Amino acid sequence: MTETRVTENPVPRAASPAAGSAELLLDGVSRSYGDNLAVRSISAEVPASKISVIVGPSGCGKSTLLRIISGLDEPTAGRVEFEGVPVKGVPEGLAMVFQDYSRSLFPWMRVDKNVAFPIKHLPAKERAERVRFAIEEVGLSGKEKLYPWQMSGGMQQRVAIARALASHPKLLLMDEPYASVDAQTRADLEDLLMRIQSELGITVLVVTHDIDESVYLADRIIVLSAPPSVVAEVIDVDLPRPRDHIATKTDPRFVEIRGHVTRLLRSKEHATPV
Amino acid sequence: MKLLHEPLSGRSQAVLGVVGVIGTAAVWEGLIRSGLLDVAGLPLPSGVISGVGDLLPDETFWDAVLFTLGEWMLGLAIATGVGVLLGGLMGAFRSLFVAFEWPVEAFRVLPSVAVGPILVLLIGQGMLPLALTVALSCIWPILLNTMYGVRGTDTTAVMTAKTFGNSDLAVLRKVKIPSALPFAFTGVRIAASIGLLVAVSAELLIGGGDGIGGYILTNTANATDLDLVYAATLVAGVLGVAVNLAMAKVDDVVFGWKKGLAQ
Repeated sequence: MTETRVTENPVPRAASPAAGSAELLLDGVSRSYGDNLAVRSISAEVPASKISVIVGPSGCGKSTLLRIISGLDEPTAGRVEFEGVPVKGVPEGLAMVFQDYSRSLFPWMRVDKNVAFPIKHLPAKERAERVRFAIEEVGLSGKEKLYPWQMSGGMQQRVAIARALASHPKLLLMDEPYASVDAQTRADLEDLLMRIQSELGITVLVVTHDIDESVYLADRIIVLSAPPSVVAEVIDVDLPRPRDHIATKTDPRFVEIRGHVTRLLRSKEHATPV
Repeated sequence: MKLLHEPLSGRSQAVLGVVGVIGTAAVWEGLIRSGLLDVAGLPLPSGVISGVGDLLPDETFWDAVLFTLGEWMLGLAIATGVGVLLGGLMGAFRSLFVAFEWPVEAFRVLPSVAVGPILVLLIGQGMLPLALTVALSCIWPILLNTMYGVRGTDTTAVMTAKTFGNSDLAVLRKVKIPSALPFAFTGVRIAASIGLLVAVSAELLIGGGDGIGGYILTNTANATDLDLVYAATLVAGVLGVAVNLAMAKVDDVVFGWKKGLAQ
């Protein structure tokens, strides 16, 4: 069954070959919990040093997919490759930012200690330097000695991003990273992510249910259908960078892509009643 | 705007507290002096207060207090060490939880003071059997609180640590144990008051005449000065309150971060 699915849903060819080599490869990844199939034969390539966004309706197994990619969970069929190596357990060079920053940050550590968490094994001097750089990068210099719970939601998510940066990730996974902050903060954090990504050249994979966000951030959008999810389409977004919230979002091309993704999600939802 | 219950200012709270204590003592004193309450052995508050006055310069009494404190602290320390370790492991490893769940339930209901005589038989008189009796009663709230604290560690926090490449054991050490510590400490606070009760009780039952319990025992046996006995009891009570206050302060300072734990 799974085998036929793979041939029925070959990796959709993206429109432009602009993307570099695939950092992350999903090949027929399925995950079921008992009789309940969460994701069904997902195949996609995540290009290196680009921002890719997985977008899909809520409950489409996006988080399941991220857990599999990060090695926290195993697929029931198919495989995941990171830099050409099959993922078994959490691969080195991976960092993850969760939606729920208040649960993901450690409340007994001040900001600097939280950021230093992934690099405790490094010599003190290098550690301090990385922490300083990461905190500066997210614009939180001077807040090192606060506890996360003394900060606003947006600032806490900045701490979580700084912590991920401190680990010098090759692959940054983000699970609905901005779903719990207000609209203005969200816009700021989207721009922050794009700036950091272009400065450091990290490969970023964001999961979101927000269509606007997916088009705004992405070099490549992987559109998932309603559960049990399959890849509906892979779209390479050719909007120029740097992007901004006014110019980019009024660009006819942005509106066009957004409309296309919206139609994809609508039609799939109707095709597969939940 | 008027709140449904206006909070009292710190000063009026203090005044009300003092008035309450003095008032209760005064009514009590009045009941006995007026003859309304005529039971032999009931203490007059004024007598107890003067008893405390007599105790303060009494060196044997302070030796007894120190002995009780030492015994209590030793017992509490043993209970904390063993309880946090066992509770942490039981919370972290499902197999250990399943293996030890029933032994823990069984030992938990055992009255520790009843085990005291056996301990005296095994290791003889002295502070150790008393402290072990205290430890036996103190360990349970510490163990159970630590265990549930570890088991209740936020799954997102655990996943975060794992995605940074931490093994299960490292996650236990770096995330689960720290996040369970406020719960463990609450266990220690509960255990501390139980421990003082058990310490004095154990001295009364299996002690060799040492400690506050021993002091009370000697003085009731002589049946000379009951006021002194009540005074000693009062001092033990004040000690307990003081320790509880100190621990609440430690809780506030060291574990102030727990308000940041996701609800």
